[in-house]
Amino acid sequence: MNIIKIKTSKNHTKNLISVFFIITAMQLGGCANLGVQPWERDLLAKDEMALNADAVDIGLDEHIYFSKEGTSGGRSFAGGGCGCN
Amino acid sequence: MQLSKSKRITTLLATATCTLLNAGVQAQETKSENDWQFDTAILYYGETDRVSLLEGVVSATKDFGDQRVLNTKLVIDTLTGASATGAVSQPYAQTFSRPSGDGQYTTSPNELPLDDTFKDTRVQLSANWTQPIYKDTRVNLGANISREYDYLSVGTSVSAERDFYNKNTTALFGLSYQFDSIDPVGGRPIGLSTMVVDEGQFGAGGAGEDAFEAAFDQTRITDTDDKSTIDALFGLTQVINRRMLVQLNYSYSTSSGYLNDPYKLLSLVNNNGETQSILHENRPDSRAKHSVYAQTKYAFDNAVADVSYRFATDDWDITSHTIDSKLRYNLSESDYIQPHFRYYQQSEADFYRPYLNDIDALPAFASADYRLGEMTAITVGLKYGHKMNNGHEWGVRAEYYQQDPKNAGFENIGVLANQDLYPSVKAFILQFSYSF
Amino acid sequence: MSDWKIQTADDHIKGSFFCMASPCELLIDTTDPLVASHITKHAAAEAFRIEQKFSRYRNDNIVSAINQAQGKSVAIDDETFQLLTFANSCFEISDGMFDITSGVLRRAWTFDGSDNVPNEETINQLLAFIGWDRVNFDQQQITMPPGFEIDLGGIGKEYAVDCVAKLCTTLAPALSILVNFGGDIQVTQKKKEGKYWLVGIEMPAQDTSKTKNNNTTYNTVMVKIARGGLATSGDANRYLLHNGVRYSHVLNPQLGKPIMDGPRSVTIASDHCVQAGLMATLALLQGKQAEQFLIEQEVTYWCYW
Repeated sequence: MNIIKIKTSKNHTKNLISVFFIITAMQLGGCANLGVQPWERDLLAKDEMALNADAVDIGLDEHIYFSKEGTSGGRSFAGGGCGCN
Repeated sequence: MQLSKSKRITTLLATATCTLLNAGVQAQETKSENDWQFDTAILYYGETDRVSLLEGVVSATKDFGDQRVLNTKLVIDTLTGASATGAVSQPYAQTFSRPSGDGQYTTSPNELPLDDTFKDTRVQLSANWTQPIYKDTRVNLGANISREYDYLSVGTSVSAERDFYNKNTTALFGLSYQFDSIDPVGGRPIGLSTMVVDEGQFGAGGAGEDAFEAAFDQTRITDTDDKSTIDALFGLTQVINRRMLVQLNYSYSTSSGYLNDPYKLLSLVNNNGETQSILHENRPDSRAKHSVYAQTKYAFDNAVADVSYRFATDDWDITSHTIDSKLRYNLSESDYIQPHFRYYQQSEADFYRPYLNDIDALPAFASADYRLGEMTAITVGLKYGHKMNNGHEWGVRAEYYQQDPKNAGFENIGVLANQDLYPSVKAFILQFSYSF
Repeated sequence: MSDWKIQTADDHIKGSFFCMASPCELLIDTTDPLVASHITKHAAAEAFRIEQKFSRYRNDNIVSAINQAQGKSVAIDDETFQLLTFANSCFEISDGMFDITSGVLRRAWTFDGSDNVPNEETINQLLAFIGWDRVNFDQQQITMPPGFEIDLGGIGKEYAVDCVAKLCTTLAPALSILVNFGGDIQVTQKKKEGKYWLVGIEMPAQDTSKTKNNNTTYNTVMVKIARGGLATSGDANRYLLHNGVRYSHVLNPQLGKPIMDGPRSVTIASDHCVQAGLMATLALLQGKQAEQFLIEQEVTYWCYW
């Protein structure tokens, strides 16, 4: 008896990638018109709006997910390996 | 001065004042330059009946002015408990040899085989330096080293980022190189070799032990092996409006070398699903990954929402989607709560097999590690943070993480139909942090 | 130079240091000396930072670089840009009467109570170097015609007060702190239980008559302030006396001459110290019509003639 394996279609993956790039293009289109003047940065300047806010928490979580799941990184560099995956 | 403009002067002046006082990060210096800022945390991660992790982090950052920043981080963690080996459970008791070759362990009937020799302490040190190189451009250099008793990892990274359009757009490009050296307990098992279990066939006494050792060593390669990983990252950050910014990253990663987990196994079963022997896993010696990551942060008046999506795919055929969202809600000027929800889904590697059938020819690569199989995982959590009057801040975070491995289309033959081949893994996380 | 100290009073702690030629104090609504020290140390550091960066008495800061540029472009940072933008807004709101390039007039006018009134020609020569509308600046740089100088003295201290108050709010979000740099005041938030702070401010004695007294008598007046900012613009004995006429130290940048017949001192209460300070200066620039101007603006004020 053979092991029967049903392979998921690769098509839906390709579709997802295309949707993604469309969203990207929409985001980047008109980049020069987006944004704020320097004196409108009051909210953006708050610590919690920084992209690396809660860096310690994120680092701890990334370590857990790196060792328990098949995908890692994407947000920034992994920075440091361990024997857990 | 025109008295006709009279009433408007107060208003105009008020607006000009608000602009002056609200503008820019420099008016928000909460620490004088040349002071170290410390962020520390201790985290406990515990799976029910399986692995527990205790991890401590101390991160120190100093701003030298002129956008030159140094960050150093020390992480120490200890891992204890039992991990699934990949072997399937059986309606009978099973005996396995420990990875070191010294001793065995037995699994009860209908129980998932777990290897509990998985205890380790790891220390990691990393440092990062940022500095401007010319107008609107900064370069970042990083280095890290990590050590466990069977694993050494060293790496370095360099990246450059540049601001455009009044700092509304930032583009980043980075490269990193990581070199890992693995020296597993008992030596590296030869891929797909059969585990040698002493069931009395070697005879008794010292001679018996030596015979076992010889057979065991036949399945081992006893020197260290390495793995090299190169990552490239392209990132774009864009301010959308006064309340919102987005980040989009594309990264490519390629690893080569010894990518196996030396402690993971596969059961070789007959047509009735009964285990005939135990094999060590074997993975390809290279892996190329692509990932696209998009994140948005939105500032409400008293809250900040952070939602991100990551899509990743690689040449092992693992494809994953991750949605991560949190909402930081300020209860007052000095405290906040932050609920967190994460959803993760991955498809199985093309060489993933929950078990191997002895009728089929052995594949070149096979692994039963559920972390390479199809699964979904959910995390829900809540964090509370409080800022004290002396400027220090503390926080506590509790999360629940559940992984649900799924059957990717394999038939549960024979006795395996009555076994739970894809048990969920449930974990609690508790973290205390303190910043000063 | 970075000296500060704290003194405990019965229900609060006072942090103090000397900066911008004034005694600076912080009244902190706590009895915990560690908290007060932490706040005072960072507040003093911020005050010294602003003083060092924007003082016109130094030759190693951005202001001196701008003032010695002789027509060349000088690169500026965000904070400098914000202050210049504010000065620009004030120039427009005041129809050109508030002009930070008017500092060069101090070469002609020395307000030491003496008799030295400069002649027309000296003044006219200096007028050629005044005129904010001839200054060009943007987020990256400032370019002025050769010979121009900027003087941020008119807004520097009030700006420092507001910055320090903002810093205090970040360091101690739950505490009421009163920042007082020589009479320029800002309170971060109301004290618990809605009580107010009592601060001593030097104000001219009420019964000073207009022409007879050459020296103004100053009394310390206790002011109750619960929130917001307070600033005073006034003589403090900086004036000239010539032919029996008193020339105040506030100069009209378009004529190069002092405002005549203005009040000796104006104190304004407003949401922010910087706003109060500007309002007080604008009032003084009105000369005789100062009080009428303040009434029309519907601000809380005290005016001394």
